[in-house]
Amino acid sequence: MTTGFESADIDHGAASSPDMSEQPPRSGGSGRLGATGFARITSAGEVVGLYALCIVAALLLSALIVQVTGGDSLAVFSALLDGSLRGPGRIGETLGVMAPLLVVALGAIISNRAGLVNIGQEGQLFIGAAFATYVGTRIGGPGPLVILALLFASAIGGALWAGIAAALKYRRNVPEVLTTLLLVTVAAQLAGFGLKNQWLLLAPPEGRANRQQISQQLDPDTRIPLVTMFGNQFPISVFFALCGAALVAFLLARTVWGFRLLALGHNERTAQRAGVAASRYGAGALLLGGGFAGLAGGIMLAGGDFGNYTLVPGFPAEIGWTGLLVALVGRQRVFATIIVAFVFAGLRTGSGFVAATGVERRITDVVQGLLVLALLIPPALLFLRQRRRAMAARESRT
Amino acid sequence: MADGTHDDVNHPESGTGPSGPVPGGPPVAGRVSIRLDQVTKRYGAVTACDEVDLTLTAGRIHGVLGENGAGKSTLMKIMIGLVLPDEGTISIDGHRVRLADPTDAARFGIGMVHQHFSLVEPLRVWENVALGDEGRLDSSATRDRVKEISDRYGLDVDPDAVVGDLPVGMRQRVEIIKCLRRDPSILIFDEPTSVLTPAESEQLFDTLRHVVLEEGRAVALVSHKLDEIMRATDEVTIMRQGAVVRHVRTSEVDAAELAEAMVGRAVSLRSERVAPGDVDVDVDRSEVPDTHPELAPVVLEIDGLTVMTRDGRRLLDDLSLHVRKGEIVGIAGVEGNGQRTLADVLSSLIVSSSGEVRVDGASVQTGVAGAMAAAGVGVIPEDRHDSGVVLEMTVAQNLALVDIVDIARNGVIDRRAMSGTAERLIDEFEISCAGADAPLFSLSGGNQQRVVLARELSREPEVLIAAQPTRGLDVGAIEYMTNRLRQAAEAGVGILLISSELEEILDLAHRILVISDGRIIGQMARGEADLGRLGLLMGGQVA
Repeated sequence: MTTGFESADIDHGAASSPDMSEQPPRSGGSGRLGATGFARITSAGEVVGLYALCIVAALLLSALIVQVTGGDSLAVFSALLDGSLRGPGRIGETLGVMAPLLVVALGAIISNRAGLVNIGQEGQLFIGAAFATYVGTRIGGPGPLVILALLFASAIGGALWAGIAAALKYRRNVPEVLTTLLLVTVAAQLAGFGLKNQWLLLAPPEGRANRQQISQQLDPDTRIPLVTMFGNQFPISVFFALCGAALVAFLLARTVWGFRLLALGHNERTAQRAGVAASRYGAGALLLGGGFAGLAGGIMLAGGDFGNYTLVPGFPAEIGWTGLLVALVGRQRVFATIIVAFVFAGLRTGSGFVAATGVERRITDVVQGLLVLALLIPPALLFLRQRRRAMAARESRT
Repeated sequence: MADGTHDDVNHPESGTGPSGPVPGGPPVAGRVSIRLDQVTKRYGAVTACDEVDLTLTAGRIHGVLGENGAGKSTLMKIMIGLVLPDEGTISIDGHRVRLADPTDAARFGIGMVHQHFSLVEPLRVWENVALGDEGRLDSSATRDRVKEISDRYGLDVDPDAVVGDLPVGMRQRVEIIKCLRRDPSILIFDEPTSVLTPAESEQLFDTLRHVVLEEGRAVALVSHKLDEIMRATDEVTIMRQGAVVRHVRTSEVDAAELAEAMVGRAVSLRSERVAPGDVDVDVDRSEVPDTHPELAPVVLEIDGLTVMTRDGRRLLDDLSLHVRKGEIVGIAGVEGNGQRTLADVLSSLIVSSSGEVRVDGASVQTGVAGAMAAAGVGVIPEDRHDSGVVLEMTVAQNLALVDIVDIARNGVIDRRAMSGTAERLIDEFEISCAGADAPLFSLSGGNQQRVVLARELSREPEVLIAAQPTRGLDVGAIEYMTNRLRQAAEAGVGILLISSELEEILDLAHRILVISDGRIIGQMARGEADLGRLGLLMGGQVA
């Protein structure tokens, strides 16, 4: 059952607008389709124009809100840019935030492809980070091996957490949209419990300077190595996240597995007839989605941009929620998702500089919300128009 | 009537009283209810309706005949305000009106029973009827109203039944009640019989007669089935490619003439569903080649198949049958007697409670994804949107859906092979589409059905399940489908034809089984088929 608004919206667009899909068109493919008049939904210029219009509108609206609340909108935007791009080393910060956002979003894309609405990334990420903390602070050995082990553990943790939702869905028919969401709260409680008990995650008394609920810090040699490029320092996980994105794009677009997920996501019964068992492919997609979210937690912990290599309550810092938004706005297209992840990461790192202008830094949440809306409106419009044309074309065909 | 050459009937001007110019018209007929004048609707470069004139008269059933895509639906949508015409005028009771949305149309007393139902399955009948009402929900009043309409028109609908449990025929009656409740003066039926059994269609037409003759409503019956146009209408407008090609009194034409006007060429009517009375059954029988499939090996064997619902109802009850190589076995029966469940089991969609399915002698587990398909069972499902195609995927992807593993290496799809196969099948099965990469939802229903047919036949199945394979198709497409099924049987495919259209079964099957309440209750070879006995069996009486 694909009841999710996201899947409906996202997938129609992805499956039916070849000129916007990330799938590389076969030679001559898009041209031929273009010539038929029907599949050529709209020109690229129109699409870009529409997006530009909506983004400008969102920015103007944001500026208006800043002005009305007594701030200086130009100063705020300037601070945003300084904090995310222009300031020395800020691009590195932004990339460091982008990596987990992108990884979460990739998982969401996979779940979504199978017609599932996994909205519990925030919790899966927390559990993943907790698993990573446990493994990273408990096992010894050469640093790189520990890093691999803790990242692996984080993915397992996230997958297990999503696995609860998968088991409930495929054994008891409980909608995953509910279970994944509710498990977010449980995950936070569980991690909190772990952080209160020394036999689990809590750091020994000498390492925590009277702080409650904090884990031991990862040893320097078990942290993800940082690289410095053009004065920007960021963890190498950024590169792996980008490679992961390319891999996911390939798997979804070119493999039997991606093909079957697509069929399952759109029509479970047709898929079942054709040999795609929902319980296997669907549960797999859900586990993978959770695994990616968990891995994002591991990357956050060992990458250092969050929580200074320690686990604390509130560690996920809404990266799970934002990653879900990134996937939503990227509309199932991996390449677009990378860009959106960077933009949203920039809003986050930029927000730190906004406070200096005297405006509440939460203004960036408003900007982000408006941007989400702005980026969702064009696809909705294009979808409606395309559907209407398709219907017309169908009516005219004998 | 600017385009007089297309018009064989002179209509009385609006509001001029009884139908003088038309001799022998029905007694109450005469007042023009709605009149469309030179209505044109374009979608981009496509003209869906091209200067169409249509006049519905009170007390008459007006057939609108045309192939799929001839513009009938657009025309009807214009009448109920879903589509705004680009040009032309609409007048109701002599007054020019503008139908900007369905509420406008409803205010002018126009109601439509759609081809695709808009019912909420988990809700009860009366709840569905009350849906869209404003103000406080009055369950007892709604129930009474449903009961009253049901009794008045002999629809036999229980207001408290859950819609999801009702067979299609019943659901349509719920739609009719939804429509009649608002007491419309103009009623539009869009392909109403495409989901009905012959008996149910007959009943529907009785209701229509009642509505027209005794209550003086105007009815438009949109259809591509010649027999029901011939049987049920007083006059008929024939559309082709968006334009009206002919407008005649039904009594002045015959089915062949209508067919020719509709398709634009002469068609052989033998394999079409003309009125059963018109079909010479003996002539049909000689069409099946004189092979002896009764000696061929059995390709599909179903043994004691039982399917139970969770609450203990038996959808299939100890059902056994076999199909031999090259044999067409027809399963006749009133819809809702287990046909859908049988097809679902053979599509791996349902787990059986007991019994066995053997393909080519080897037992196949039920309910295991893809197992039936892998064993060589092809399926043309009753509802292709439900389990036949993925609308959002492309034509090529749909064609490759079942055998995707075969065109992949190490799990990576060979896209060239996929589109190559697609191009070949598009040519071979004459699928009209914008290309192999066109999304399936952009194809017309008939072409979507061809995609299913192409995929299932190209897999060279041992046995093919064809469930209501010609439902909703126009004459040309029915002819094509019927011929394809025959050819497949001649090539050695065992075919299980599940159909509620008796003529289709009589036309194609070597052997006829009758299903009732999930059991096979009778069987006969086509040579000894006896319509009387078949009818009794279909009614559940063992004769």
